[in-house]
Amino acid sequence: MTPPTLRTQRLILRAPGPQDIGPFAAFYESEASNFVGGPQSPADTWRYLAQVIGHWTMRGFGRWMVTRHDDDTAIGLVGLHYPMNWPEPEVGWYIWDGNGKGYASEAGRAAREYAYDTLGWTTVISMIAPGNDASVRVAEAMGAVREADWCLPGREPIMVYRHPGPEAVS
Amino acid sequence: MIAETLSTARLTLRKPLAGDVPAYTAYCMSDRAGFVGGPFTEAQAFEKYCAMAGHWALRGYGRYVMVHNGAPIGHVGPLGIDAGQPEMTWTLWDGAAEGKGLATEAATAVWDHLRAQDWPEMIIRILPDNAASIAIARRIGATQTDEAAPAWYEGALTFRLRREVPA
Repeated sequence: MTPPTLRTQRLILRAPGPQDIGPFAAFYESEASNFVGGPQSPADTWRYLAQVIGHWTMRGFGRWMVTRHDDDTAIGLVGLHYPMNWPEPEVGWYIWDGNGKGYASEAGRAAREYAYDTLGWTTVISMIAPGNDASVRVAEAMGAVREADWCLPGREPIMVYRHPGPEAVS
Repeated sequence: MIAETLSTARLTLRKPLAGDVPAYTAYCMSDRAGFVGGPFTEAQAFEKYCAMAGHWALRGYGRYVMVHNGAPIGHVGPLGIDAGQPEMTWTLWDGAAEGKGLATEAATAVWDHLRAQDWPEMIIRILPDNAASIAIARRIGATQTDEAAPAWYEGALTFRLRREVPA
């Protein structure tokens, strides 16, 4: 499916595409990608971008590239994500340009609202790597509460935050 | 413009869809995936299939799923792993589909289409013990070269498909 475009006060959430490989690969080459599977090579990030796009086809929902209103350059990846080894679908965010301005929670709220209002979800979690304090602050700002960790064989446990349901945030 | 759907006598070739995931995953978790770096876990298979679908949006071309009698049985077509020459690939997901010429039929249709779009040449890489695949490469007109295998596919033989047959 073609991802819909969402608009918030300061941001646009749009379909990822070939124009995003530059900023996405630069982020994934940096240490800042530590908590989200990086750093990794541009070739691996290219494949990962293909994966992010194809997730929309396979699941009917997915993640958006985040931009500012007046500039189509991607500054983050935010949205709904459900790999086979996750306990349930999550809303996730990373912003690589413009941290500390509340962009992650602004885009995260739009994605969560889409999950509740358009997809009809009744609940959603966020999966956060231990030590990713910035992301924990975003989850807490959105009203999410920590639950039991999710453990994958051979991997560090991942923190699970559960968001308030549709009634609580509408 | 690369077509998103192609038809052959016995197959429909189309982009990957969500309904294919179980059949593709079964292939990825089987020994058949050993020729391409597997077997893989269920989670890896899902990621790979997402990437196969998303490749179309990034490159404007990609692998087609072979649909035979309504069921997805394999994938075939160009893989652009980097900015270099696209690689021609084909895979039957289940051994039961082998021996009927279906992969050859599919690969021929894709190469005919790409040639008609002025694609001059494609590369094919096959591990030396994959005799069935080597036979298909020869059948669709590829010729073996002495080019070395890339680091990510050690030991592979290289073939080339050329639109113009050199005099």
